[in-house]
Amino acid sequence: MTDTIAVEAKSARKTYGQGTEAVTALKDVSVQISKGEFFTLLGPSGCGKTTLLRLIAGFETPTSGEIWLDGKDISADPPNKRPINTVFQSYALFPHLTVAQNIGFGLEMLGRPRKEVAETTAEMLALVRMESLAGRRTAQLSGGQQQRVALARALAPRPKVLLLDEPLSALDLKLRKEMQSELKRLQTETGITFIFVTHDQEEALTMSDRIGVMSAGNILQIGAPRDIYTSPANRFVADFIGETNFIDATVDATGATLSGGQHIDIAPQRIAGRSGKMTLALRPEQLRIVPAGHGLPATLTHSVYFGTDIHCHLALPDGTELVARMQAAADGSAAYTPGTQVGLILPPDAIQLLED
Amino acid sequence: MKKLLTSVAALATVASMASAEGELNIFNWGNYTNPDLIKKFEETYDVKVTVTDFDSNTTALTKIEAGGHGFDIVVPTHSYIPIYVEKGLLMKPGIPEMENYHNLAPQWVDVDWDPKREYSVPWQWGTTGVAVNTKAYSGDVNTAAIFMDPPAELVGKVNVVPEMQDVISMALMYVGGTPCTTDKTMLKAARDALVAAKPKWMSMDYGMTEKMSNGDVMASVNWNGSTFRIRNNNPDVVYGYPKEGYIVWMDNAAILNDAKNADNAKLFINFIMDPENAAMISSFARYANGITGSEAFMPDDMKTAPEIVVPADLVAAGKFTGACPKEAQDMYTAIWTELQK
Amino acid sequence: MPSSSEDLAETARVRRNWLLSTPALVLLALGAAGPLLIVAVYSFLEAGEYSGVEWRFSLDAWFQILFHRDIFDDTISLADAHLTIFWRSVKLSLLTTIATFIFGFPTAYFIATRAPKQRALWLFLITIPFWTNLLIRTFAIMEVLRNQGILNTLLMKIGLITTPIQILYTDTAVLIGMAYVYLPLMVLPMYAAIDRFDFRLVEAGYDLYASRWQVLRRVILPIVKPGAIAGSILVFVPSLGAYVTPRVLGGGKNMMIGNFIDLQFGQGRNWPLGAALSMVLLVIVGAALLAYVRVSTKENPHG
Ligand SMILES: Nc1ncnc2c1ncn2[C@@H]1O[C@H](COP(=O)(O)OP(=O)(O)OP(=O)(O)O)[C@@H](O)[C@H]1O
Ligand SMILES: [Mg+2]
Repeated sequence: MTDTIAVEAKSARKTYGQGTEAVTALKDVSVQISKGEFFTLLGPSGCGKTTLLRLIAGFETPTSGEIWLDGKDISADPPNKRPINTVFQSYALFPHLTVAQNIGFGLEMLGRPRKEVAETTAEMLALVRMESLAGRRTAQLSGGQQQRVALARALAPRPKVLLLDEPLSALDLKLRKEMQSELKRLQTETGITFIFVTHDQEEALTMSDRIGVMSAGNILQIGAPRDIYTSPANRFVADFIGETNFIDATVDATGATLSGGQHIDIAPQRIAGRSGKMTLALRPEQLRIVPAGHGLPATLTHSVYFGTDIHCHLALPDGTELVARMQAAADGSAAYTPGTQVGLILPPDAIQLLED
Repeated sequence: MKKLLTSVAALATVASMASAEGELNIFNWGNYTNPDLIKKFEETYDVKVTVTDFDSNTTALTKIEAGGHGFDIVVPTHSYIPIYVEKGLLMKPGIPEMENYHNLAPQWVDVDWDPKREYSVPWQWGTTGVAVNTKAYSGDVNTAAIFMDPPAELVGKVNVVPEMQDVISMALMYVGGTPCTTDKTMLKAARDALVAAKPKWMSMDYGMTEKMSNGDVMASVNWNGSTFRIRNNNPDVVYGYPKEGYIVWMDNAAILNDAKNADNAKLFINFIMDPENAAMISSFARYANGITGSEAFMPDDMKTAPEIVVPADLVAAGKFTGACPKEAQDMYTAIWTELQK
Repeated sequence: MPSSSEDLAETARVRRNWLLSTPALVLLALGAAGPLLIVAVYSFLEAGEYSGVEWRFSLDAWFQILFHRDIFDDTISLADAHLTIFWRSVKLSLLTTIATFIFGFPTAYFIATRAPKQRALWLFLITIPFWTNLLIRTFAIMEVLRNQGILNTLLMKIGLITTPIQILYTDTAVLIGMAYVYLPLMVLPMYAAIDRFDFRLVEAGYDLYASRWQVLRRVILPIVKPGAIAGSILVFVPSLGAYVTPRVLGGGKNMMIGNFIDLQFGQGRNWPLGAALSMVLLVIVGAALLAYVRVSTKENPHG
């Protein structure tokens, strides 16, 4: 098992500053990232994603804990001794060098023969489809082109691990989509371990083999995109990944009792023997609206039209607000008008139980 | 020659009563004019005097030649008086008819640069010799060998003031020639001697009054007045009159041809030939003046100062050097460049 | 390749810019070119007998710069004394430039990497010497270097030396003095360049396997080069014409160009030669500036 692990953080902690000014950006984070994996760190701004990346790259040393690469502790190695490269959020291309010189820089520093540098540079230029701009200064490139150069520059030395810190955040939506598939293609072609940072959950879900969701210096959950989406470990993850309805309830062996006294059924494998005060989580597309008299009574407060979907906002008698997503009718009209009393069906096997 | 009495020359403007009858504008070396003398003149004749400084004979001459300067009196060194005369810049104010003319010491009346004292009267005169700190060297100081062939004790501790005219003239006399000569064997000998001596020098700098007083420099080509002041600070320093030949110079006051206040200027020329007034000049800048009877009014320390009273056996070694003709001057410059390259 | 309509627009823009610069150009012509012209004209005249010039055309001055008619046998040879003086000036100025760079770069780097509030203070401290007269600063250096001065006294007190080292009146003293005097002229443009420098590029350098030295040489230095060149010009040009510092600290034993020119206008009474020498100095400075323009435009062909 260990020989398949590329990077491992062992209880890595990072505290910036001293005394009252001290900020602990990373709180004893442990994570194992496998070879050839596309691993994404996902979390809100300030949660410590960049800090973890900088610890792995070697720009920061952990306050405590260790960083391992290929079964060796590299915590004390400087960045230029680690076979790990970074694609910086700002790209950080060298303005005094041409595109080709930027790409060849790492190999040159490694003391590779001129011929090899030239060949690999050409190869990388082809890989990111920038052959025609090899002689340009980087200041004369568009954002997407700069991004490609940054990528090629980081890939050229064939690092064991490639770190990407929000590399797509500066691009417009269309270009971003393009680059997402490009990145995925490059990762598959090269087989290099990618550690990718984003705060865009959709990006994370579409690209990653596994995702680590971070919050306030901790990794809350690690898993494949589907697992994270369908089985969030806690309310934060559920809320952060996609939209989720939360309902407070008391759980027993048969189901849950809401604060208004209504009882709903929950599949036993979802309950898994737990009981007591819990939060029920349900994705909007899993809620079904039926005419009044069936299911849970609720009031439709308003609906929002999204083209193919309509988001219906509902209120339970105790005031809990929920959102249900429905397919719009062919003519785009809503099935229910605001103020209508409706019934809500909560599928027993779709309900998640979250301990707070 | 006195430009380095102080490092920073100040424009000495002497104010006086607003109701002055007339004006007088004097163009003189910096830090060279006793303010008390000016005050006395102003009070005596009710004239407002303005003194403007210059720092070298060439700058003074250039400024006056350019015209529009407004000066009445200028005080050039003796070697420049013939140049002023030749260029027609000076007036003949009838000096021999002046009341105080009889006070002129006889040896300063019939001088080469102004044979009958038609144009100028003495301001101050002095010598360029050597100053030596006896702590460092106790041998004979009355020789140019102090800098032309420094004794072992002084190697690396000698300074030569960068006065091209004086230094090369002394070097010429040291090798047996005469100042401003165009004799090439002599010039060559002087050059070779200078070039050979230079590695034994510490510097070619001004400001010896401070540097010899505090012991940074142990010997130097220097002026007598400056050495007098050094001795007052540092009693170990003595003044030597090189027996091979040393330089004597005199600064002379003269009236410019285009003076606007010629009458006041004549009053001033007569005024400074008065012994008491001449003594005021000397007591300020510490050089002798050339007016008989002025000794009586001078500070005691000046009356017997070895820097001012030339020993009888060495008087003859003192040479007035004129401004060299262009041909000699160019050779001087060539030697100087060779020396300082 | 720009199209011809772009060319036309460019020409019009250039013409308008020239037109707008007219007042400045006139001032420049009067203030800079005028005096220069006088110097140029004087260099082609005959020296006056006692000072100034005779209004007769002569190439003597220019001849004298390069050739030396031996005063003893009239043979003509290369004026090695003049070349020696020029070479000393150029050499000392180059050394001064290098010294200010060696000390100025870390200083500028230090300042540029302080917190913004502190930077202002450091820059202020750097410029303080400028408030003092050059002569006074030079005399202050002399106080430090002279045999009974601060440095020698200190070294003797702590027992490193027993007799004072003669630093004053050597080329080393001139170098120290000039480097001290001109240091701020190197630090300020270097600071401006480093301040603009994106330090994330340093991390990029380390990330791509560059050692500290390589990051300095391959990333930082090339990018702050324009600042270094500007600083070098600012130091080299006045060093070349320096007069006071070599005079006071060098002890006057060896001339630099500035002193040599002074000799011609003063004791040497050869104004045309002085004027011709000034023109040569100007040419050297011009060449240095031209080299600068060359280098900086090559760096940034589209700038
Ligand atoms: N050099 C530093 N000094 C002090 N505090 C820092 C430093 N770098 C980061 N922090 C703090 O550490 C915490 C984590 O920062 P980090 O940059 O890792 O966040 P992030 O997850 O990358 O956020 P973003 O998505 O905004 O880039 C933040 O609270 C931040 O303010
Ligand atoms: Mg970040």
